[in-house]
Amino acid sequence: MTPPSAARRDQWTAVGLGVIALGYLLAGRRYPLDTLATPGPGIFPLAAGLALLALAVWQFLTAHRRAAAPADTSAAEAAHAPLIMSVVLVLYAAGLPVVGFLLASFALVFIAARLMGLEGWWRPAALALGVAVASRVVFVTWLGVPLP
Amino acid sequence: MSELFVALTPPNLLACFAGVVLGTIVGVLPGLGPAGAMALVLPVIVKLGPTAGLIMLAGIYYGSMYGGSTTSILVNVPGEAASVVTTIDGYRLARKGRAGAALAIAAIASFVAGTFSVVALQLAAPLVARTALAFGPAEYFAFALLGVVLLANLTGGSRPKSLAMVVLGIMLSTVGMDPLGGTVRFTFEVAGAQAGLSFIAVTAGLFGVAEVLATMAAPASTAPVAHVRFRELYPSREELRRSVPPMLRGTVLGFLVGLIPGPAATIASFVSYGVEKKVSKYRDELGTGAIEGVAGPEAANNAAAGGGMIPLLSLGLPFTPSTAVLLSGMLLMSVTPGPFLLRDHPQVFWGVIGSFYVGNVMLLLLNLPLVGLFARVATIPQRSLMPGVLVLCAVAAYSDNNNPFDVWVMVGAGVLGYAMRGRGYDPAPLVLGLVLGPLLERSLLQALTIARGELSGLWSSPPAAVMLVAALVVFVAPALSALARRAAPG
Repeated sequence: MTPPSAARRDQWTAVGLGVIALGYLLAGRRYPLDTLATPGPGIFPLAAGLALLALAVWQFLTAHRRAAAPADTSAAEAAHAPLIMSVVLVLYAAGLPVVGFLLASFALVFIAARLMGLEGWWRPAALALGVAVASRVVFVTWLGVPLP
Repeated sequence: MSELFVALTPPNLLACFAGVVLGTIVGVLPGLGPAGAMALVLPVIVKLGPTAGLIMLAGIYYGSMYGGSTTSILVNVPGEAASVVTTIDGYRLARKGRAGAALAIAAIASFVAGTFSVVALQLAAPLVARTALAFGPAEYFAFALLGVVLLANLTGGSRPKSLAMVVLGIMLSTVGMDPLGGTVRFTFEVAGAQAGLSFIAVTAGLFGVAEVLATMAAPASTAPVAHVRFRELYPSREELRRSVPPMLRGTVLGFLVGLIPGPAATIASFVSYGVEKKVSKYRDELGTGAIEGVAGPEAANNAAAGGGMIPLLSLGLPFTPSTAVLLSGMLLMSVTPGPFLLRDHPQVFWGVIGSFYVGNVMLLLLNLPLVGLFARVATIPQRSLMPGVLVLCAVAAYSDNNNPFDVWVMVGAGVLGYAMRGRGYDPAPLVLGLVLGPLLERSLLQALTIARGELSGLWSSPPAAVMLVAALVVFVAPALSALARRAAPG
């Protein structure tokens, strides 16, 4: 049987999917359905939202009785570094247009390397500098990609 | 057909070489799979032009199938999912001192299967494309729906989870302008979202960023690699003789499985191993280091990669994440795959097919002498590689539309992908839902309009009816078989 914690997590994920489906259906109400002969832009989202809602209910109900493979709990247990990295990525997306590609990417690689266990300060800094400069040379100078 | 030789021009040869080398490296490295790697190089291939760009993308795709076997045999670590089965007998052969022979058989099997699948692709793709010219919206809707249902059944794990991911992908595809009327939907006044969510940003996030986050959570250790000398790469006559039947069986099986939506290469390798367990003369030795356990699955996963190109090139329908990225690359370069590809872009069509021949020869020549070098790539610590992947993901996402919003999409997709992966949700169905969503919507609405609102218009033509019935059967079959098992006495 599925361990109780995994089954509970499946149920909570199903609740999350249900909330997403309801939010999507609510947001989709502003688009007209019209008729089946001249379908409006709201008809397909309505079908998709209802399908996800039904799947969320199915998932919720089967989480108890299904003897599924146990969910991978290792990631959740060691979620410290990924959580920090997720915040850093959000800051990267926000900072990219402000501080530019080079500086933002240097900081991103430096922090990621430290979080992944690259020891000391010089090695992560050298890696970050190398990646940021090489990316800029390849993509901006050689390929003409207009990075910020 | 003379356009086949387009693949032999120097720029295309170079693109093919770069693609297969990159693909081999991606196959060797655990983690970033072919779809993620292909998404990351999209900004580069756009600069190469349609033919060379697509040749390079395709090279990464089938090159990764070759590379995946190297670490399976030498390190017992599959570079990508399609090589998992190869670890069973491949690594045991290495421990018996037959690593060189196993690597050589894997490369030869990959070459034989790759070449067979290209010939079959060359013959079948134009036929399928001609048939598809008669397809209307109802048939396309039915076929895409059948693909989605099959995909949910074959992805592995829980069916409601796979289906939920497909539907989530379809929902994400509705962000931006609707494909028929041009109404802007679900953008919440964000100007950058009007063109829809960038497929590249979502793919880079789901496969690239999520992989980096997962590696941070559970860092993989790098294993020592067995040293293989060039002269040890010769399989014995007995090993060669025993490899031929599983190689041929794996090739045919793999190609057929490749036509089915889902992670075809992975499924093909498992099916091939299962078949060998049943029919091989040496089935009792499988699992203890039998060459059949390498030859069959390695042929199967390469043939499946070729088979998977048929729905993409002939119908414009990608059924694996890798072919979905290939589709995205084609659209970026204003090449629309489907029944008209052969008519509108014969150079691209035949050039890409021709490059498969060239690429297979290159891979054989590269993989045998350089196997030790590729194996050593697997020993590079992930903490030195993965941070750079984040920057490549950001470049790929941003450069799709030169839009900072797409970097946000990439970050969101990455965090979502990581969170969902930890709960047993595979990201591949979401990517395919995102790609197939507009096609499903457009064909459904067009079919309804043509039928003047009559739902029966969806199944009024025999091909559409057959595909819808097949989708229904595939959808209810697992539930019915579970009920039958429960009802059975004992």
